[in-house]
Amino acid sequence: MTESEVHDKIITLEEAAKLVPDGSGLFWGGFGYQRAPIAFAHELVRQKKRDLTIYTCGSEVDIEIMVGAHVAKRLEVAFVAIEALGLANNLRRRVASGDVEMEDYSNLAMAMRFLGGALNVPFMPIRSLMGTDMITKSRYRGDKKLKVIDDPFGGGKVCLVPSVQPDFSIVHVQRVDADGNAQIDGIVGEDIEGSRCGKKLIVLAEELVGSEEIRHSPDRTVIPAMYVDHIVVLPYAAHPMQCHNYYDYDLEHLMMFHKLTKTEEGWEEYLNGHILGVDDHYGYLNMVGWNRLHSLRARKPWGY
Amino acid sequence: MVEYSKIEFLAACASRHVRDGENVFGGTGLPLLAALLAKETHAPNANLISEAGFIDARPKNVPLSVADSRYYFGCSAAIGLIETLGFILQAGRIDVGFLGAAQIDEYGNLNTSYIGSFEQPKVRLPGSGGGNDIASSAKRLIIMMTHDKRKFVKKLDYMTSPGHLEGPGSREKWGLIGGGPEVVITDMCQMDFDPKTLKIRLMSVHPGYTVDDVLENVMFDLIVPDDVPVTPEPTQEQIEIMHRLDPHGVYLGKGE
Repeated sequence: MTESEVHDKIITLEEAAKLVPDGSGLFWGGFGYQRAPIAFAHELVRQKKRDLTIYTCGSEVDIEIMVGAHVAKRLEVAFVAIEALGLANNLRRRVASGDVEMEDYSNLAMAMRFLGGALNVPFMPIRSLMGTDMITKSRYRGDKKLKVIDDPFGGGKVCLVPSVQPDFSIVHVQRVDADGNAQIDGIVGEDIEGSRCGKKLIVLAEELVGSEEIRHSPDRTVIPAMYVDHIVVLPYAAHPMQCHNYYDYDLEHLMMFHKLTKTEEGWEEYLNGHILGVDDHYGYLNMVGWNRLHSLRARKPWGY
Repeated sequence: MVEYSKIEFLAACASRHVRDGENVFGGTGLPLLAALLAKETHAPNANLISEAGFIDARPKNVPLSVADSRYYFGCSAAIGLIETLGFILQAGRIDVGFLGAAQIDEYGNLNTSYIGSFEQPKVRLPGSGGGNDIASSAKRLIIMMTHDKRKFVKKLDYMTSPGHLEGPGSREKWGLIGGGPEVVITDMCQMDFDPKTLKIRLMSVHPGYTVDDVLENVMFDLIVPDDVPVTPEPTQEQIEIMHRLDPHGVYLGKGE
């Protein structure tokens, strides 16, 4: 690989989102309030993508944005809510109207589907879901949602969940070098498996660092460059969610978001103001305000 | 006379069910507060685990998310989901898990997914998250709910997480390795499960409530033993610790 080919990995957010055709399947990284690829969700909305399928364990504001703006049509997930703040209001409306279809799994089931995809095997066995409606009810996968079988080696019943190898994996990390070696601080959630299961991996990083920095602490490189196809470097890519060691969540913004999404009109106000009303991610950050962003910066040694 | 809110009573009551040295799945919200309170009182060696990947957590401030960086500082390891839900939980290493629910039936089965029919749901709830995994594989399950008649139903709109399923033998039939629900705690009473039928049974009633109050607020036949004691009140120490853990009332202020 030549130097120029390596450096070609770094593209803009706009270029990265353009790679995603309508109807694609995306592994969506981050977990709970941590490292949510919000900036990528915004750009998919600005480019008016349609009919995406999102695969993840638990995502929150990013899913709300993508279902609210009719970007995501199908979700194969375990959890969507804003945790401490309450239900996902946009999703609630989109599911009630039938605009969004969900296939329900548990967190372990989804993580194992990603692990299966990453390992290039067709399914993985788990002990969860058994005896419940998650086994009996399916929205659109039908008998391809899962299978309960008797362990061929004689160990009783076991549930098989189908592996996922989506078109893209979208993962947000703290730092990356120009080759694509990506480091995550704090918990990884399901991003180890998730980053390796997609056909193409797009990494969003808060910070571009020199190769020496990566090679000085290689134990933190949870996604080696060989997996990475494209790199987007952006600050505050998870705002209003948090990025460990970089910034805390913006609770005031989150509460405002959650309150506005209680009605379709409120959601449209947010959508038109904060997402469609700006040209790009920097326009969004300018709107949030740099004084405020600065106040969210993580304090040592806490990381938030 | 100790002064407390209904929510503080619920959290203090739940904390007593954590034993010292246990591996505990804490989550967020009131369950987390109950687990932290247990650590600060009778169970200092409880190993608090968040499914996002934090192990032996000792947060200084209450986390708002299972992945919150507030869980990070002071924990012994920060790893990921396959670690916590796979290597730890599914391998049988979790002693006790906490869960809440929008609906519960008489076998302790839980709904956190849909209100209304599956085909045309009225309300989409958060879904399983790790709830189904915890209910499937934790050795014991503590269920915490605010008491509302509409939540204690004869038939769930959707079964997200397994309690005792259809009664004796049914968890075994499905190969579930965990023991299922042990206790259900509300702001009105504590309930456990009749060992013969595995149906919900009244265990104790909180001060200010009667057995009839509870019976009027469940939609199935609740087993009532001859002797139903009054639930012990929280201590002043427990109340003060909870206020210190949640100074802004993020969780304690809810549901008042």
